[in-house]
Amino acid sequence: MLGWEFPPIINGGLGVACHDLSSAMSELADITMIIPKSSPDFKMKNMNLVGINTIDLSSIENYSESKLPFELKTIPADLNPYYSEKSGESASFNASSGIFSGDRNTPKTFDIDHLYGGDVINKVMQYADITASLASKMDFDVIHAHDWMTMLAGIKIKQQSGKPLVMHIHSLEVDRSGVGSRGWVYDLEKKGMEYADLLIPVSNFTADNICNHYGISRSKISVVHNGSNIVKSFRSKRKFKEKTVLFVGRLTRQKGPEKFLDIAAKVLESNPDVRFVMAGVGDYFKSMLEKSSYQHIGNRFHLTGFLNQEKLRYLFSISDVYCMPSISEPFGLSAVEAAQFGIPCVISKQSGVAEVLSGSLKFDFWDVNKAAGSILNLLSDPVLRKKVVEDASKNLNNITWDISARKIIDAYAAKQFI
Amino acid sequence: MPSICFYFQVHQPFRIRNYSFFDIGTSHIYEDEQKNREIMDKVAEKCYLKTNRKMLELIQRHQGKFRISYSISGTAIEQFEKYRPDVLQSFIELANTGCVEFLSETYSHSLSFIYSKEEFRRQVQKHAEVIKKYFNQTPTVFRNTELIFNNELAAYIEDMGFKGIVCEGVDRILGTRSPNFLYRSPNTKEIKLLLKNYRLSDDIAFRFSDRGWKEFPLTVDKYKQWVHSIAGNGECVNLFMDYETFGEHQWESTGIFSFLDHLPAAIMEHPDFDFKTPSEVVAAYPARDVYDAHDFTSWADMERDLSAWLSNSMQQEAMKQIYSIEKDVKECNNPEILNVWERLQTSDHYYYMCTKFWNDGDVHKYFSPFDSPYDAYLYFMNIYSDLECRIKAFKKKARRDLVKQLKDSVPRAERIEAKIVRKQVLQS
Repeated sequence: MLGWEFPPIINGGLGVACHDLSSAMSELADITMIIPKSSPDFKMKNMNLVGINTIDLSSIENYSESKLPFELKTIPADLNPYYSEKSGESASFNASSGIFSGDRNTPKTFDIDHLYGGDVINKVMQYADITASLASKMDFDVIHAHDWMTMLAGIKIKQQSGKPLVMHIHSLEVDRSGVGSRGWVYDLEKKGMEYADLLIPVSNFTADNICNHYGISRSKISVVHNGSNIVKSFRSKRKFKEKTVLFVGRLTRQKGPEKFLDIAAKVLESNPDVRFVMAGVGDYFKSMLEKSSYQHIGNRFHLTGFLNQEKLRYLFSISDVYCMPSISEPFGLSAVEAAQFGIPCVISKQSGVAEVLSGSLKFDFWDVNKAAGSILNLLSDPVLRKKVVEDASKNLNNITWDISARKIIDAYAAKQFI
Repeated sequence: MPSICFYFQVHQPFRIRNYSFFDIGTSHIYEDEQKNREIMDKVAEKCYLKTNRKMLELIQRHQGKFRISYSISGTAIEQFEKYRPDVLQSFIELANTGCVEFLSETYSHSLSFIYSKEEFRRQVQKHAEVIKKYFNQTPTVFRNTELIFNNELAAYIEDMGFKGIVCEGVDRILGTRSPNFLYRSPNTKEIKLLLKNYRLSDDIAFRFSDRGWKEFPLTVDKYKQWVHSIAGNGECVNLFMDYETFGEHQWESTGIFSFLDHLPAAIMEHPDFDFKTPSEVVAAYPARDVYDAHDFTSWADMERDLSAWLSNSMQQEAMKQIYSIEKDVKECNNPEILNVWERLQTSDHYYYMCTKFWNDGDVHKYFSPFDSPYDAYLYFMNIYSDLECRIKAFKKKARRDLVKQLKDSVPRAERIEAKIVRKQVLQS
C-alpha cells in the first residue's frame, strides 16, 4: 500500500482515512504501507509501516530513475494544488533551481518537510523512484495506491512487477480546482487511472467525476465508501445563549465557505439568535472576514482558525447544526463525525457522504435558500431534529472501516487479483 | 507678531488581546495587560519622562516665554494612573508652571462625533473633568480624535462653549491660502480654527531623521530660518504632533532632544516671534477667512480623511456594531460595562484593521499589536460578541428584578385572590 499523508502527520481527511482503512484491512491481509515520512513513536500492529525518510538511499539496490510507460510533460509552473495557509497564495516553484530540468541530484536520504510544499511534484517523483526500488525486493499480490501523490510510484511498481494496480481515489484535481482544471496533476491522474487495473473511489459522486471528467470506463470502478471510527461523543454547555451552526474544513473554494456565509446571512435574516462558526484555515480566511462584515453579520460569524482535535470535539459538543456546503466533496468525514456527536447535518448533494447519511437534510450547494430553510427548521422544530439525528445514528452502524475493508478485499477477489 | 503654537498629542489605547471564539462567554478579560504595561513603560522611559523634564527646563530657562500645550486622552491618563504615576506627576509639574495649556478631546480617543452626538458630549465632559482634577484647568480649545474635523463639528463644539478648535490645514481646502492664520467655519459665530502647518510639523515629526530627505540633517539654524521666513505673512505657526515624536518615533540618538533644547532660543532670536498656547492665539488674533470643510478631514495618512479608520468593510462593521448597542449599554447603568464599551470605541482598534497599503507595511503596521488587520478585526468582534452577551444577561436580570420588585409590592393575599379571579374568568 502506498500512502502520502499518514499519522502523525495529517493535513486533512486523507491521512485519517488511510490510517483507519489500512488498519481495518490489516485484519484481513498482510499490508506493507510505504509513506514519505514516519515517526519512530508511531507504530501499528499487524502492519509493516515504512517511512522512506528513514532509509539510507545508498543502501538500496536498483535505485535509479526509471522511465514512465507514458509521457508526462513537465513545465516550470506553479502547480501546487494546495494553497499555503499563511499568505493565501500558493507557494511557487523556483524555476531556476532546475527542479524540472531533469538533472535532479540523487539525494542521500529522502527528506520532506511539508507534504504539500512548493516542491511537492519533485518529492512525488523521488518517492516513486525510491518506492519502486524498495518494492523490487518485496513479495506482494496487489499494489494499492492512494491519490495522485502515490500514483507514479504505483505505476512504476506495476511496470517492474506486473502486479495489478489498484488506485484508491479520495480526491481529484477536479474537486480541488473545479471541473475545468487541467495540468500536470490532472494529466497524471488521467494517465494513472487509465493505467490502473481497478479504481476505488470513495463515493458514487467521485465515480461519476472519474467517468465524466477523465473519460474512464465504469467497468474498472468499484465504489467503496469510507468508514468511520467510533468516537466517544459528549455534550458541553455553551458559554453563550445563541444556537450554533458549525462548519469544519479547509477554507478553500472546494469546501464552499462562501456558501456557508450566504446561508448564515439568510438564516440570520429570520433568526438573529444564531452563531455561525467556521473551524479551519485556508486561502479564503481573509475574504471570509471581509465578506461577513459586508453582510453586517460580523457579530454572528466567527472564525476560529486552526484547531486541535480536543478543541474541535468541544466545538462539536456545543453545536446544534452541522453544515457542509461543499462544492465538490468526494466523501466528507467531518459530517460523519458531526453525526456521531448527535448533531443534525445539512449537507450538499455534491458530496459522497450524502450517499450514506440518509439521516441528514440535503441541498444542492448553490441552493442557499433551501439550506437556510433546513437550518431554521432544525433549530426550531425538535421533532424534525430528533428524527434526523435518530436516522443518522442508524446510518452510522453501516459506516465502519471494517465494512469498507471487507468490500475492498471482495473487489480484489472479483477482479481475481487474489 | 507671529506666534509659534505647539500642541502635542499624548495618547495610549488599551490594546486588546488575542481573544478567541472560545473565550466568548468564558472570559471577560479583553485587554492585553502585559503589552499595555510594557509599551507604557517603554514610552515613559524613552519619551514622556525625558521630554517632560526637557520642557520643564526650557520653560524655566525662558522664564515663561516658552509656552506649549498638550492634549492627553483619558485612556492615556488612566494608564498613567495605573502603570506610571510618575509620568502623571511630571505633567502636573508642567501644568503648575502656568505656561502649559491642556486641550479638550473625547475621553477614549473615539470617533463618537460621527456616530453619536450624545456619546460625544458625554466623553468630552468626562475628559474635561479628569483634566480639571489633575491639572486644575478647564479646556477652552477643543481637538477631536486625530484632528477629525468638519464644519458641523465646529458649530457643534462652539455650541458646547469652546472658543477654538484645532484641525489639519488640508491643501485641498486651503488652496493657495496659508495655514498660518486663524480661520472660521461657515455658520459659526466666534469659534476660531487653528490649522496645523503640516509641512513644518512633519519636518520634525516624520522627516527629522530621514536620511533620504534632501534637507537631512535638520539643524536648528535651518528650521529657524524656515519659521522666520513667515514673518510678515502669518500670525500663528501651528506645530502639532504626537508627543511620542520625542524619543520614541525619533530616537534620542537622532539628536531630537538637542534640537528641542536649542529651538525656542533660536526662534526668539527674531524679535517678532514668540510662543503662545492655543487659547492665547485665539485671544490674540482675528479669524482672517472662511475654512469650508464640508467633508470630514483628519491628520492621518496621505488622504487626510477618515480612511485610516473607516475605509474597509471590517472597520465599518466593527464601528457600526459598537455604536448600535449604545442604548443597551447605557440602560445597563453599570460602570464596568460602560467603561468596556467606551474603551472599545478607541480609534486605534479600527486603525489596526486598516488594509490600506498593507503590503507596503507602513505606519499602521508599526503601531499595530496584531499580525494582520484581519486578526485585529476577528479578535475585536469576538470581544464585541462577549460584551453583547453580558449586556443581554444584565438586562434580563434587571427585568427579573423589576418583576420581583413589583410582585413584592403587592401583598400575598391579594395576589392569590387575583389569581383565583383570573381563573374564574378564564373558565367562564
